[in-house]
Amino acid sequence: MQDTGKNIIIAGVGGQGILLFSNLLSKFYMKLGYELKISDVIGLGQRGGGVESHFRYSDKPVLSPFIKAGDVDYVISFEQTETLRHLHGLKEDGVVFSSTYELTSTSVNTRLQKDLPESKTEMIKRSENETFIVDPEVHKSPDFNINKMMNVVMLGYYAEFRGYSHEEMIQIVRESVPEKFVEGNIIAYKKGTEIANAELASR
Amino acid sequence: MKTGNEFTAVKMMNGNEAVARGAFEAGVKVAAGFPGTPSTEVMDYTQHKYPEIYCEWSTNEKVGLEVAIGASFAGYRSLAIMKTVGLHVAADALGGAAGSQINGGLVLVVGDDVGRIAGDDYNDVRHYGNMFNIPVLEPSDSQEAKDLMVKAFEISEEYSTPVILKITSVICKTTSKVEYDEDYTYQVKCREIYPVSFSKVIMTTIMTKAKGSEHPKLTKCFNDFTANMKRLAQNSNDFDMNRLELNDKKIGVITAGTPYYYVKEVLPEASVLKLGLVMPLPEKMIKELAEHVDELYVIEDGHDLLEKNIKDLGVSVIGKELFPKFPDMMRFTPDVIEEKLVPNAPKRTPIEGVPFRLPVSCAGCSHLFISQILRKHKIKAAADVTCGLIGCFPHMESYSLQKCMGSSIALAHGYNIAKDHKENFVAMIGDGGFWATGINGLMNLIFNDSKSTVIIVDNSCLAMTGGQNVASSEFGFNYKPENKLDIATVCEAIGVKDIVTVDAYEFDDLEKSILNAVSAETNSVVIVKKPCVTKFKLPKETPSYIDQDKCVKCRKCIDVGCLAIESKKAEDGSVEIVINQDICTGCRLCSTACKFEAIKS
Ligand code: SF4
Ligand code: SF4
Repeated sequence: MQDTGKNIIIAGVGGQGILLFSNLLSKFYMKLGYELKISDVIGLGQRGGGVESHFRYSDKPVLSPFIKAGDVDYVISFEQTETLRHLHGLKEDGVVFSSTYELTSTSVNTRLQKDLPESKTEMIKRSENETFIVDPEVHKSPDFNINKMMNVVMLGYYAEFRGYSHEEMIQIVRESVPEKFVEGNIIAYKKGTEIANAELASR
Repeated sequence: MKTGNEFTAVKMMNGNEAVARGAFEAGVKVAAGFPGTPSTEVMDYTQHKYPEIYCEWSTNEKVGLEVAIGASFAGYRSLAIMKTVGLHVAADALGGAAGSQINGGLVLVVGDDVGRIAGDDYNDVRHYGNMFNIPVLEPSDSQEAKDLMVKAFEISEEYSTPVILKITSVICKTTSKVEYDEDYTYQVKCREIYPVSFSKVIMTTIMTKAKGSEHPKLTKCFNDFTANMKRLAQNSNDFDMNRLELNDKKIGVITAGTPYYYVKEVLPEASVLKLGLVMPLPEKMIKELAEHVDELYVIEDGHDLLEKNIKDLGVSVIGKELFPKFPDMMRFTPDVIEEKLVPNAPKRTPIEGVPFRLPVSCAGCSHLFISQILRKHKIKAAADVTCGLIGCFPHMESYSLQKCMGSSIALAHGYNIAKDHKENFVAMIGDGGFWATGINGLMNLIFNDSKSTVIIVDNSCLAMTGGQNVASSEFGFNYKPENKLDIATVCEAIGVKDIVTVDAYEFDDLEKSILNAVSAETNSVVIVKKPCVTKFKLPKETPSYIDQDKCVKCRKCIDVGCLAIESKKAEDGSVEIVINQDICTGCRLCSTACKFEAIKS
């Protein structure tokens, strides 16, 4: 069936490259001829605040820049506390892609607030939606710091899940990131497709 | 208005970029202003994409607006850029320009905070429309942001008035497509039709006292601003930017800005009056909609200004009684409208107890060194509007007083004279705040013989909004080394008795300097130097780590407020204090806080 469009929440903390992720993805959907609205919501403070991007593509003009709770098709999150913040917005058949990376909230570090009593990863897995978990610790290697590249890893992961043309995506990466980062980003992208491929095969 | 009529290109732009494009198409010659989230990027885009336009970051918003007013009087279209709290600073200048003769169009692009995750100063720029009787335009997406920008200049010239283009965080940070003419050639026109332009005091004195006179010396001072605004209100019933979409007779909504799209999505059947010009109002259109529907709602972000103005026209409309305003609601979302106006809408509730993220300073920020020393020695201090204000939040508690940009010096002076100088209440201010208005506080402190201590944080830019240039920066739009202002030299010239300059990372030196200044018998200034870690991408040192065998988990290092230090639950449920190796810059501040020598590098 023809894809008429999707509503995606991209979430994480400042410095994780969420804006690059949505920028690359928007170019892909533009090329396919979709209408788009992408709204970035940022917190106060320079680093480590929550960041969320409401990413909507459709074959009809997109109206609201914000996705209504209950209308989210995909949550793609680079930080698991942020994943939990957005789970309730998913459609029944919505899908979660989440890194298990966690940047402890200041309020928890300073004991102004209690952390959730349970494992966040377990809470995400237990949700009624289909979930795909990426644990950066498992995929870490001395020559590849996955934590710094999670955005592009997730892009590869998502593209593999959707069955998109990797050639096209890699071309967009090439055109969009500064020369000296192109190779690193392509490695990260491919890593993402591999992780997704292995996961999808095992299901 | 059909500026998008003959487009040859389509591009994804956020609202800020679209406004800059509009400025270019309007033939703006001069753009001046002061950074302020969310509208800072309007200037950045204008400068980078359209070098034809003269750009400057002025010392503060008032100066910026005055520059634009001067350029407008010279006959050229001029733009002032700021956020609403900045317009409070510039309000006197706007009051002076309101109602006066306008040669080149004068437009203020002003950003409201509506739409951020955390915190909203909850200002609404439209109050200035009501107070000064000037038009306010509000776009709903990027295309309109561009188009209304051009229209704003036309209105400014046609009705001889400054015009405000209100943008919100949502408009600024939402990317959508913009159709435009790629081959458009930039044109600047000089429109000098008024030989004088005076504030209302001068003008009204002459107009009311010399009514009926035809002497050109008198009539050249006349500007019938109330008639102009009445004419605009009348004509606005026919403006394309105000659009009446008559549908269902049950529900009618008057709306503007991004809420228009929330309404269209949630209530596709409703009849809608979408306003592009939110002040003055198109009375005929409003009454036509009111006649057409059973229930009439007003859906507007910010304060209840449309609502009040509509009610003033004698039209009854439902607004804040159904949609309570701040602090009950930060902003409209489609969800809020659905909950109230769609029967049996499903309700989704977020997971409870997901911890909140308080704002944090960047790892390695010089402000953290100052906060740490103030806290360590229990020195009471006022913060300013600067990255350092993060020290006010409850996880740090380094400051006890904080108000507006540039205020801390005067705040501390006031405190100290009230307490007969028995305590030394210290002022901390950033370089941006210092040049903006803080310098006035310092001059005031000197000639009124105060003994207060001021810490000026010189990080070579206005860091909080992303690193724009200030008077003491070594870069910037119009930068020349010989014109750079030096903070220490200026302090000396003003008459500060005791001035010392220290490197923020030299912890012992900095500590000594602050303690000396605080105990000095005279007024004193400590200038703390360190370029902003984030803006200038300072090279990282070897990251620190915590030796878990030595760590007693006293959490003193966490109180430093560095983003890199985290408390983590280990597999077995025990807690560890760790340093995030990807974030740590190796500045070594945390090791000054640890009494157990557990932090190593
Ligand atoms: S200050 Fe030292 S002992 Fe205390 S938690 Fe931090 S590293 Fe551990
Ligand atoms: S050395 Fe300590 S204070 Fe400095 S960046 Fe690293 S963790 Fe933060």
